[in-house]
Amino acid sequence: MDFQQSYYELFELPQQFELDTAQLAERYRALQRSTHPDRFAEASAAEQRLAVQYSAFVNQAFNILKDPLERALYLLSLAGWDQERVSSQKLAGDFLMEQMELREKVESLRDLVDPEEVIEHLLAEVADDIRIHTVELRQAMDTSEWDAAATAVVKMQYLVKLRAEIEALETELLDG
Amino acid sequence: MALLQISEPGQTAAPHERKHALGIDLGTTNSLVATVRSGTAEALPDNEGRVLLPSAVYYGPEQPLVGHSALVQASEYPTDTLQSFKRLMGRGAGDVDAMGYTLLESEEGMARIQTSAGDISPVQASADVLAELARRGRDTVGSEIDGVVITVPAYFDEAQRQATKDAATLAGLRVIRLLNEPTAAAVAYGLDSGREGLIAVYDLGGGTFDISILRLNLGVFEVVATGGDTALGGDDFDQALAHWALQQAGLNAGDPAQLRAALMAARAAKEQLSAQDSAELIIGGQSLAITREQFEALIQSLVKRSLRACRRALRDAGCEPTDVQEVVMVGGSTRVPLVRSAVAELFGRDPLTSIDPDTVVAVGAALQADLLVGNKPDQELLLLDVIPLSLGLETVGGLVEKVIERNTTIPVGKAQEFTTYKDGQTAMAIHVVQGERELVSDCRSLARFELRGIPPMVAGAARILVTFQVDADGLLSVTAEEQSTGVQASISVKPSYGLSDDQIADMLQASWRHAEGDMLARQLAEERVAAEQLVLSLHAAIEQDASLLEAEEREQLEVAMLELVGLCENSEEPAKIKQACEALGRQSEAFAARRMDAAIGKALAGVKLDELESMTEDKH
Repeated sequence: MDFQQSYYELFELPQQFELDTAQLAERYRALQRSTHPDRFAEASAAEQRLAVQYSAFVNQAFNILKDPLERALYLLSLAGWDQERVSSQKLAGDFLMEQMELREKVESLRDLVDPEEVIEHLLAEVADDIRIHTVELRQAMDTSEWDAAATAVVKMQYLVKLRAEIEALETELLDG
Repeated sequence: MALLQISEPGQTAAPHERKHALGIDLGTTNSLVATVRSGTAEALPDNEGRVLLPSAVYYGPEQPLVGHSALVQASEYPTDTLQSFKRLMGRGAGDVDAMGYTLLESEEGMARIQTSAGDISPVQASADVLAELARRGRDTVGSEIDGVVITVPAYFDEAQRQATKDAATLAGLRVIRLLNEPTAAAVAYGLDSGREGLIAVYDLGGGTFDISILRLNLGVFEVVATGGDTALGGDDFDQALAHWALQQAGLNAGDPAQLRAALMAARAAKEQLSAQDSAELIIGGQSLAITREQFEALIQSLVKRSLRACRRALRDAGCEPTDVQEVVMVGGSTRVPLVRSAVAELFGRDPLTSIDPDTVVAVGAALQADLLVGNKPDQELLLLDVIPLSLGLETVGGLVEKVIERNTTIPVGKAQEFTTYKDGQTAMAIHVVQGERELVSDCRSLARFELRGIPPMVAGAARILVTFQVDADGLLSVTAEEQSTGVQASISVKPSYGLSDDQIADMLQASWRHAEGDMLARQLAEERVAAEQLVLSLHAAIEQDASLLEAEEREQLEVAMLELVGLCENSEEPAKIKQACEALGRQSEAFAARRMDAAIGKALAGVKLDELESMTEDKH
């Protein structure tokens, strides 16, 4: 296997943001069926090592392609936009204001007696925002407007990070 | 009554090819073993017809007693009768509730339990349970066991998985695969019904709770998310009920013997309340009545805790409760009516309960074990597992940089670049940690090692590539490499809480002390079997894919195979045979790679053909 080939080449799919996830999943399973170490449980140590490497490469490719944000970052990197260049995108003031307000809400969770409902509500709000920016990202990607795409990616990174923080706080407050 | 079994021609492998594999559910409260016989997987009973072996070992003046006979000793020798020790696997004494035992810590920081027969590690106690189950398996199939699949809670971390493997090694068993318990349960149901779609496995055992979201499609199980709580189970229901009862009876919960008696009474009452509306507890000579409603009030917060973990796992999987098409119930505690109704309410459907929730995991493990030892070459089933907790590295300021996120499908390899912090820095400390929190101090430390020989440069100029590789059992190895010089350091993560290879060897040697000569003979036999397997599988590969080999390559391989066969017949040195096997393995690596590439090409071509066909069908 050529570990230098692109993930799109591995899955034999056209190099674009838009992607049929059912088709991707189908091909992923076909690839795993022929590379997973369980298929080689009784084979030689050399074959088992190969299987681990192959299967891991297939998993890595699938993890990047199935996630819209990771896929966008990957396509940007293929277009010459590395992570550093993407992260240095300037964001509009109103988006940043919105983020600050959301963060304040998250901070105040600690003071609530029964935060469970508020947490559910906040998570739903963030999920909605992520959906909106995914649409924005898709449009920019389809027309190869890398600058706009990078901006949308950074916004989504903010939101995904916020979501992770809310979830961590939920674990801490409710199961602590 | 024993009947002679006759199978259809061509359906079973030739007798000498058939291998014997066991599926073992090593539980907190009970353990059991299952195997596939005549195409059906079933839990194996003991001489008295009981399939559940209590996970209890009594360490007295004589040989250890395992299971029911250990439980008999529990009330008289509570501190010498070890139970629920699965909770101590891979843990330090300070990490866990002592459960009424006196815990000590070994030099490696591993919990040990003080008994009159000496300090016992939970690994040792687990090994004694595994050995008992393996004996039952051997007696039933009437031959040695080729390998076992042992199930572990999906939430088990590296240290706990490693400790489980160590226990098997100590019991003299070959582990083909560690399998997550809920995955095993889905195997048992999936094979029977052949459904497709999302499945939730709600596994409330005696000591652990797991929720797994699986996707089943065309015979492939994929674990898309897992969650749970390693300290929540039916034991907690018993505790809640026992404490209530002791309080009602005005008795002291601090007395271990009294608490034990109360727990037994509580367990019996709990089981009665699954079938009837009220039950009676006899405690300290007093009789207490309890209604199901009262019991449900006592356990409600525990059940709620499990539901929160369910919602989190659903979110991780990116789906809603209503997207789930089947909910599988596992573990004896799912017999509690409140649990069933709460789960039904969350998912909006009645959960599946047709397979005995106590045996379903072992049955699934047995099916998978049978498959992995090669008894079903045409079977398409494949399990894809995820790592339960994120893996990362310590960076400046005691912060964690995650390298592999939790719920990533394994096996997985991931590389990340790091750089130096100070000018002229020539060494880098690599500290591998596991967990979701941002601070190293809140995560579990897995391993530390150093990369030396970095050429002196200004801070931030060096490029250190750190690669994490996780195999199909979820065990990790880490490599660090400086990019300009290629200097490397690596480590296979043997968690600081597990046993080292040397310790296992020592313990094994101690158990074989009476027969030292046997060890060499055993090693020799093992290497010969391995060599034989290698030659057989390579031979089959050449037969199948001769077109992928040049004539010269084929000849060289066949010469090497003949030499290995000769060596096996003539040499008495296991190390020599092992070396020759490894050499042949390396020699055949290019061929193996070509075979795999060909298989991949074929697999994708097959899928593309299916896609084309379904497109054509759509147009009609």
